[in-house]
Amino acid sequence: MMNETRRIIRFTLNGRAATANIAIYETVIEVLQRDFNLFGGRESCGQGLCGCCTVLVNGTAVSGCLYLAAFVDGAEVVTVEGLADRGVLHPIQQAFVSKTGFQCGYCTPGFILMTEQLLKRYPHPTDDEIRHYLSGNLCRCAAYPDIIEAVKAAANKIQAVESDP
Amino acid sequence: MKNFELVEPSTIDEAVALLDPEDTGVRAIAGGTALMLMMKTRLFQPTRLVSLRRLNGALRTVRTDENGGLRIGALTTLTELEHSPLVAKAVPVMSRALRTLSNVRIRNVATIGGHLAHGDPHMDLPPILLTLGARVRAVSSRGERWIDVADLFLGYYQTAIARDELIAEVDVPLQPVNVHTWYAKFTALSADDWPTVGTAVWYRLESGVIAEARVAVSAATERPMRVPSAEAALTGSSPTVQMFAKAADAAADEVHPLADIRGSAAYKREMVRVHVRRALEHASRARSTEAE
Amino acid sequence: MTIPARFTEPADTTVEAPPKAKRKAAVRREVGRSIPRLESHAKVDGSAEYIYHLRLPGMLQGKICRSTVPHGRIVRIDASAALAIEGVHAVITGEDIRTLIPDPYYGPAFHDQPILAIGKVRYVGEPVAVVLAADLHVAEEAADQVVVEYEPLEPVFDEVAATKPGAPIIHDSLRPAGMFPDLQYLKGRSGTNVALDARVLHGDVEKGFAEADQVFENVFRSRKVVHATFEPTVSLAELNGSNGLTIHTSSQSPSYVRAEVSRLLGWPENRVRVRTAFLGGSFGAKLYIKLEALVAACALLVRKPVRIGLTMEEEFYTITKHGATVRIKTGMAKDGRIVAREVETWWNGGAYADIGPRVSQKSGFTAAGPYDIENVSLINYAVYTNDPPAGALRGFGISQIVWAYECQNDIIARSLGIDPLEFRRRNILHDGRPHATGTIMTNAEIDEVLDRLSDRMHWDVLFDHGSGPVRRGRGLAIGFKACIAPTTSVAVVNVYGDGSCCVSCSTVDMGQGSDTAMAQIAAETLGISTETVRVIHPDTDVTPYDMATLGSRSTYHMGNAVRLAAEDARAQLLRIAAATLQTDIEELEYRDGAVISRSGARMTMRGLMLARFGMQAGTVIGMGTFTPPYTKPDPRTGQSPQITPYWMLAGAAAEIEVDTETGRIRVTKLVNVGDVGCAINPAIAKRQLNGAGTMQLGFTLFEEMRFNEGQVINASLADYKIPGMLDVPEDLSAELVEFPHEHGPFGAKGVGETGMFSVSPAIANALCDAIGVRIMELPLTPERVLRAIRESENRPLESE
Repeated sequence: MMNETRRIIRFTLNGRAATANIAIYETVIEVLQRDFNLFGGRESCGQGLCGCCTVLVNGTAVSGCLYLAAFVDGAEVVTVEGLADRGVLHPIQQAFVSKTGFQCGYCTPGFILMTEQLLKRYPHPTDDEIRHYLSGNLCRCAAYPDIIEAVKAAANKIQAVESDP
Repeated sequence: MKNFELVEPSTIDEAVALLDPEDTGVRAIAGGTALMLMMKTRLFQPTRLVSLRRLNGALRTVRTDENGGLRIGALTTLTELEHSPLVAKAVPVMSRALRTLSNVRIRNVATIGGHLAHGDPHMDLPPILLTLGARVRAVSSRGERWIDVADLFLGYYQTAIARDELIAEVDVPLQPVNVHTWYAKFTALSADDWPTVGTAVWYRLESGVIAEARVAVSAATERPMRVPSAEAALTGSSPTVQMFAKAADAAADEVHPLADIRGSAAYKREMVRVHVRRALEHASRARSTEAE
Repeated sequence: MTIPARFTEPADTTVEAPPKAKRKAAVRREVGRSIPRLESHAKVDGSAEYIYHLRLPGMLQGKICRSTVPHGRIVRIDASAALAIEGVHAVITGEDIRTLIPDPYYGPAFHDQPILAIGKVRYVGEPVAVVLAADLHVAEEAADQVVVEYEPLEPVFDEVAATKPGAPIIHDSLRPAGMFPDLQYLKGRSGTNVALDARVLHGDVEKGFAEADQVFENVFRSRKVVHATFEPTVSLAELNGSNGLTIHTSSQSPSYVRAEVSRLLGWPENRVRVRTAFLGGSFGAKLYIKLEALVAACALLVRKPVRIGLTMEEEFYTITKHGATVRIKTGMAKDGRIVAREVETWWNGGAYADIGPRVSQKSGFTAAGPYDIENVSLINYAVYTNDPPAGALRGFGISQIVWAYECQNDIIARSLGIDPLEFRRRNILHDGRPHATGTIMTNAEIDEVLDRLSDRMHWDVLFDHGSGPVRRGRGLAIGFKACIAPTTSVAVVNVYGDGSCCVSCSTVDMGQGSDTAMAQIAAETLGISTETVRVIHPDTDVTPYDMATLGSRSTYHMGNAVRLAAEDARAQLLRIAAATLQTDIEELEYRDGAVISRSGARMTMRGLMLARFGMQAGTVIGMGTFTPPYTKPDPRTGQSPQITPYWMLAGAAAEIEVDTETGRIRVTKLVNVGDVGCAINPAIAKRQLNGAGTMQLGFTLFEEMRFNEGQVINASLADYKIPGMLDVPEDLSAELVEFPHEHGPFGAKGVGETGMFSVSPAIANALCDAIGVRIMELPLTPERVLRAIRESENRPLESE
């Protein structure tokens, strides 16, 4: 099995079965972009620091630019494109729209996926919890105050939905 | 990136068998965050990566051993540690440090084994584990051995782990009663930066006197290290602000900081002084392990 | 059917500023509201278009091989090992490009920058060759294998040292580009590293100093920082038919790119098409030519589409913000009035001028500050060094200049025992008074900016400076900028057969929200709702000329052009209706996709189109061109009666905590006040101010490019840290000062850069307020602060 050049991986992508023929050194971001035309996960700093490349693997956020595609074989992968339900935005996405938690928008999908994780961990986050949890997502336009507002609005929205089924 | 072989053994025996004591291009990969950075910048071009992700199981648990110590499987992620009730109870200093260690995504995949095996002096847990008297179990096809964390870090990105060895487990012994601990992470640039200086302190009181002290410094130095002169200054003294300052001076005199973009050696020496003192002050205010 | 006469009269004459007469105070329905951004949905679901993600069929990816020496002659380039790698399509060098473009030098100020190095390299990181391969990994691997041998030349890095006799000369001779009217005064030069020395002389500064009661002189420095845009710079080129070229690029200046690439190729502009999409941030990084000429040349050489997308690391080698040394000398009268000010500034432009001369001249002429000073002398040197090139970064040099004069003003105020706010009030340059350039100040609400700062900071309430190791301080600063002139924006408003509307303009939405603002302006004018307007992204085949999206000029310039275009479209629709209804135009109003007459008659869009085209189809095209007036300054004295269409005023104030044992500053409160004329979209304007303020907070506290012999040693976000959520002050706010500018579209003026101006001196002044320590060099890193503290205590830290 010396230096295999390519490998077939099978995984679930945004709820659907997916197969990809990958080079062994490719990251999950490269494969999502090239084979699935999904650009919501995007590489920027290339070091796992900015959060633009965030994707969920088995329900957990990872830096897609540091994650070998080979490792999603058999896993469930969710990107920002998988959050909306038949065109209806996820409450977190709606909150980022209503509070305009963005400017250029490049970091936004990463923030949205991390917010999904944050609200799972802390359904009613304090400012301190938000700032710490999202300190690993950077926004060069510095829309931070609006992002914090969006997170809170999303928390309220989700709570409202859950308490009123 | 060049092609390489990616193998995914399902037992630790298979895994160590796939490592190669001669080939620098063969490495184990767990969370892979550090390794991927080196591969992307072509600082490391693997010939074979031995993935540990299928091992999981026993290697990904936190449990209390028969002596009341913590046994942490090497593949436990930093997020799992951060939220582990066992860790929070036994060594809250670790839980607290984990909250600001790198970021959530990295903590989600980075493992404690990788964190230690990387030998990067800027990591947060090594100085803490140094003060807690932790040790690691290293396994290879030759067998297994225990290495004190105090003997683990040999130099800049250099550890005592041989090329054909894997860290399988971390043992954090049961902490004695009346122990005070703290970890101070000081960042000079943005708040989410790596530490410019990391300082972990630990001392045990007996009848109001420091019977035993451990002080460890990281990030400023080429490797995380204990600072014996500061420990000596503390031992046998009362935990007073004056004694803490004296110990901090001893630490500042003893360390040999490395200059980098985060600060000159002189500045880092000062930061060792400030933060050893502050960490001791914090420790004295923090709740100790169960009192006598 | 009668087709009305004059139905297509275009408003294509250059329009000066609209008449001064006050417009009717109409109720506004679209402008002035915080309408959610039009592209919101696309930005949260991942579908927003960025050029970085564009893939063209059959394209090659390029990886740039970069110089490893700061200054040297290229002895040899050996690409054989790279070419031997399977999958490598070609390796292109400067000599290859010369076979296509004999004179491959570009630049907005001087034609000094080669598409790829020719004969010589001038900084570490300069592009020397490009490897092309279908697989980016192959290109990257091969780029490492290109061997370049250099004969090193002596480098110079310091902007002051580079102007001294005997300094190594970086460019043998300089050729002015002659493209932009504000840069027409640049001269061909040789034997110097000074690309430009621009002066402003006002009054008699020597006499002023002689008469002053006290003279202060200080030197302030700022280090190089970088834009670090999250969508890295990217360009793609593809052949378009038999003789055309299409360039897709993350550019703030598509019109300029078309002109410059056409010039390089010797083609008419209509054979080059340039298009952009959303930009994932830019801040001045993606202006003029970056990768466009390179991908164009590569695509033409290999006859295939070529993409080059930079990495974050490469951003550090492409364009930076000027480091600057500012010597400022101020003469004071006893009563606290500034009587004379002399400012001499050395701008570190790096190896290629890029837009450095404009940075030097434009910011330079404001270097005395927004103050009424009788005697002023301002000298600015745009200097070449062997650093990476410097260009525009959100303010074209203003923040480096404000850093100097607002720190010094605090030094003076403290020394004279005058409250810093009062000191500024005493010296304000009021409307109606001449600025140092001779231009009369108008629409500059400095007093109001100061009032708002005072209110927000509770300036007259005693402040607790704390005790123990953590001390507290507060500080403020004001600054101003003259918007660039002269420039032109052209817009087209299309009204389609069903009454829906598209705005076609070359303004680039790089995060500042221009799409939404332009849609609001068009909607307001046409009486329709903003959400129904679509803004077409720049495509030089479709969208008309615009100078560029820079310098906070778009809202004012393009906003006016869009307003004029919409008015033109509306006028045409009314003319159609008037002719059809046989009524006077004054009797008609266009609203909600229909024309309504006072008598109650109503013509729907269908009716209008039928009347005009004989069927319900067609397009009514409104056009607007806007070029505000400008008078070239006298090159000797810098005097001009009309140097700018508008002044942008700003102020910031900060409360900080400083840990006196570590030197670490924590900004607890930051207020940014911007004079915006009238906000088209207040929420977007405030977000711009807060965003800029936070970016400048990074430049103030820790951002700094670090070099070792010209090599950037922190070219990554691992070692070049930018502000994250934990760095944002808990109390961060933006305040809009709104007095309608008489010529602005609905009273608006620009705002994108305003939030940058005053933040650094406000924080440094707060530091001095906290602990009495004055630092004259940015950034205020903990080490720099601690060293200053220890110096002041006579127990300095060791140097190493």
